[in-house]
Amino acid sequence: MSATSIGTSEFPKQGQEEVNYLNYDHTLRSWLTTGDHKRIAILYLISTTFIFFLGSLAAGMIRFELTSPAGVVLESETYNKVFSSHGVIMVFFFLVLALPATLGNFLLPLMIGARDLAFPRLNLGSWYLYMVGAALMLSGLIFGGIDTGWTFYTPYSSMYSNTQVSLVIIGIFFSGFSSITTGINFIVTTHKMRAPGMTWFRLPLFVWALYATSVIVILGTPVIAITLLLVVFERLFHLPIFSPELGGDPVLFQHLFWFYSHPAVYIMILPAFGIESELIANFARKRIFGYHFVAFSTIAIAGLGFLVWGHHMFVSSQSMYEGLVFSLISFLVAVPSAIKIFNWTATLYKGNIRLQSPMIYALGFIGLFTVGGLTGLFLGSVGTDVHLTATYFVVAHFHYVMVGGTMMAFLGGLHYWWPKMTGRMFNDGIAKWNAVLVFVGFNLTFFPQFIVGWLGMPRRYHYYYFAPEFQPYNIMSSLGASALALGFLLPAFYLTASLFNGPKAGSNPWGAHGLEWETSSPPPVTNFLETPIVTDEVYDFDPVSEYEQLRAAQDLLDEGGNPGGSY
Amino acid sequence: MANSPAAASHEHHIVPTSTYFGTLIALIVLMVITVAVAQFQIPDIGPLTGTVLNQLVALIIAGIKAFLVVTIFMGVKWQTPLTKLWAVTGFVWFTLMFIIMGDYLTRKYEPLASWRPNQETALPRTIHGGTPMPMVDPNEANLHPRE
Amino acid sequence: MAGAHAEPLAHGHDHGHDEALHHQFEDIGQQNESYLVGMWTFLVTEVMFFGALFFTYTLYRLNYQYDFWVAHEHLDWKLGAFNTTVLLFSSFTMVMAVQSAQLKKRSHVMRYLEITVACAFIFLGVKYVEYSSKFADHLYPGISFSTDPKVFGEHGFVNGVPMVNMNHAQLFYGLYFGMTGLHAVHIIVGIGVLTALWRLWKNHAKSVTVDYVPTELVGLYWHFVDLVWIFLFPLMYLMPTPH
Repeated sequence: MSATSIGTSEFPKQGQEEVNYLNYDHTLRSWLTTGDHKRIAILYLISTTFIFFLGSLAAGMIRFELTSPAGVVLESETYNKVFSSHGVIMVFFFLVLALPATLGNFLLPLMIGARDLAFPRLNLGSWYLYMVGAALMLSGLIFGGIDTGWTFYTPYSSMYSNTQVSLVIIGIFFSGFSSITTGINFIVTTHKMRAPGMTWFRLPLFVWALYATSVIVILGTPVIAITLLLVVFERLFHLPIFSPELGGDPVLFQHLFWFYSHPAVYIMILPAFGIESELIANFARKRIFGYHFVAFSTIAIAGLGFLVWGHHMFVSSQSMYEGLVFSLISFLVAVPSAIKIFNWTATLYKGNIRLQSPMIYALGFIGLFTVGGLTGLFLGSVGTDVHLTATYFVVAHFHYVMVGGTMMAFLGGLHYWWPKMTGRMFNDGIAKWNAVLVFVGFNLTFFPQFIVGWLGMPRRYHYYYFAPEFQPYNIMSSLGASALALGFLLPAFYLTASLFNGPKAGSNPWGAHGLEWETSSPPPVTNFLETPIVTDEVYDFDPVSEYEQLRAAQDLLDEGGNPGGSY
Repeated sequence: MANSPAAASHEHHIVPTSTYFGTLIALIVLMVITVAVAQFQIPDIGPLTGTVLNQLVALIIAGIKAFLVVTIFMGVKWQTPLTKLWAVTGFVWFTLMFIIMGDYLTRKYEPLASWRPNQETALPRTIHGGTPMPMVDPNEANLHPRE
Repeated sequence: MAGAHAEPLAHGHDHGHDEALHHQFEDIGQQNESYLVGMWTFLVTEVMFFGALFFTYTLYRLNYQYDFWVAHEHLDWKLGAFNTTVLLFSSFTMVMAVQSAQLKKRSHVMRYLEITVACAFIFLGVKYVEYSSKFADHLYPGISFSTDPKVFGEHGFVNGVPMVNMNHAQLFYGLYFGMTGLHAVHIIVGIGVLTALWRLWKNHAKSVTVDYVPTELVGLYWHFVDLVWIFLFPLMYLMPTPH
């Protein structure tokens, strides 16, 4: 099977709709009882997008509050609830799920040439678990909210807080098991469902990333599930596991919490790495530089990620000696991460780079993630961390990784695979400007926070009248947040609009390489009309016919009335 | 539709009842040994005092029992390498969690003042032999837990 | 292949003779290994789930050796040993059910499953007796937790000196109820799953009778429940006397 065959024959004639996963049945029932991984991915996309905008709303309130040193509208207690809602929604209900459960769910079987995931009903079940969890969490936020922050540190969460901690934690418990079921599904699928000829080293790097992510999910998530459950037990059934009054140790909670929650950071960023590798390779028209290194660095990050949780606890009365060890291992994580960054930039070198919207997100990712990763080293070394703990420096650091990394990759991946998911091409001109807007808005939001954090502004405060000189930075940050909000809202409009008036995308509108581009867009219900047999290597771009194919792909895009799409 | 070798091995390996029954007997015997050992204190052997030895024996026996259940009852012995890999992973990762113990062994365990004092029992409170805390009534301590 | 388009859940490939094969798999070998690996990865999560609890227990046990030892005196190791035997025996009957499924002896499978469920109920009954005695002596953590070391018998109160810090005893019973309670929840879930499996066998459901692996999966879960108890029993009931 040729990887990049593009021809008009693959386009359906006008008025002659192909039967695909979207249109074989239009009833709501068929969506809610589907076992099709592609439909479940769409269900996840809709629900996580909704959740994301709720979390963004909370972020907007935080940024509005901080425009004035004395605060603007929120009281201390309300502000606590708002930032806790933002954290819980974004971490537990968006970031850890969004990439694997939407793009991963949609693409994993397509990329390895399988008809579906190994356990389709479990996959649907995981979406229902997520919905139940989200409903519980949202009801908790509505009936009183939580003021513990997303970290639920004991004994505040277990003994003192008079908010809906139990309800929200049970929601997180459900959503955790939703990711566990997804993780089990991905692991088994990657092991057992690969098409003939699809060896491990022919797997696209996104699949490697999903596999490593799933391993972290199944090894880490149960630990936080039981830890948070123990907090609920303490609140509801008086089992005094973390109660210092009775000899329990609250620091134990922090150990167990970060045993999961640090690897969870890699759950969020590894799929983004995978998407990044796909985007860089396919828009630089080159095989990724050092494929094996990138693949193994993914596994190395997953493994090392489990050994560094203590760097969240340098000031939590953790042993000084263990702090030093954790600091050292934390630096080690920088090595595989740097391998990835260098390999991506090396891939770009002498690549036939095409600056379409996914690529702009991908390039933005490299810059933002590098800043986020390097500032992580500041926080990973004990000395500077003592100064920077619980300041806006930390906030800026993890937003550079989580938003600058994960969200950029998510948007890039969503744009890249949108034609595959929907069969429609969006307006690439607007999308490119939107990518630039997100990049600029993001930097404007979070770069001032590095400065203001370094100057000592503490996080989780709703005023800073003690230091009015912080105001310009906060104003900048809030302005940037507005731009960022626009940058997140616009895709919702132009991508939705493309469903109605977008030109039909062929099976391979980007001229990309990979099994998912060899089936029609949108794919048929069983993904492939016959089981593909893989004979070529991954990212096997043919440099000779490259230019011809690119012209063909571009002409097709232009015929579709796609403004700004020509180079 | 060629069955993979893995499938073939599943189909063919029917373990005889005697193996299962023998395992059951072995498990029950091991349990009886654990209970019997727990009834008296093993004399000290060098630095290993009786308590530690008792606990070691109990946990080693539990480990052997677990090994029997995993290999024979759960059939890992006759499974494919992939299944074996995943069967082992959980137990390996569980031991990784004990790195946390490194923190507690290098850190003085600092009790809150509101704890009940140590003098009551006249026995060492912690493995680190912490200093006795003054007598404080928990109800008068500066703590107001949620009701 | 046209049929595969219109009817997604029908078997995409021509394996009509094999009713237990799902559409996404090529052959029954692939499906069986996928099921087994899937179940084992789930058990990995269960190991980590209970693992965190066992770690917590280890930590507090090391810190409060004497208090935990005195507190555990209220537990009756005879009941614990009885329950261990019951669970080990149920594991045996479960594995015999799997073996009967391999040999396609339907009536045997059902008989063994019935015995397994009966053992589970016996286990829960004994647990009920044990829990009741703890509740009766106010050993459930909380405001009403007993303040009198005499509940622990001769070791709790020697020569008018209390030998145990009741706060730490409360911590022990917090762990006791948390760990055995979660284990009991797993037993109850197991009863549900075993009953469902029994009903499928009773109704000659193709999903379980054609191949033994679905029965084996339930078996794996049940053995895991047994496995947790194998460690809980010596840790909770059989503490050696500290110096």
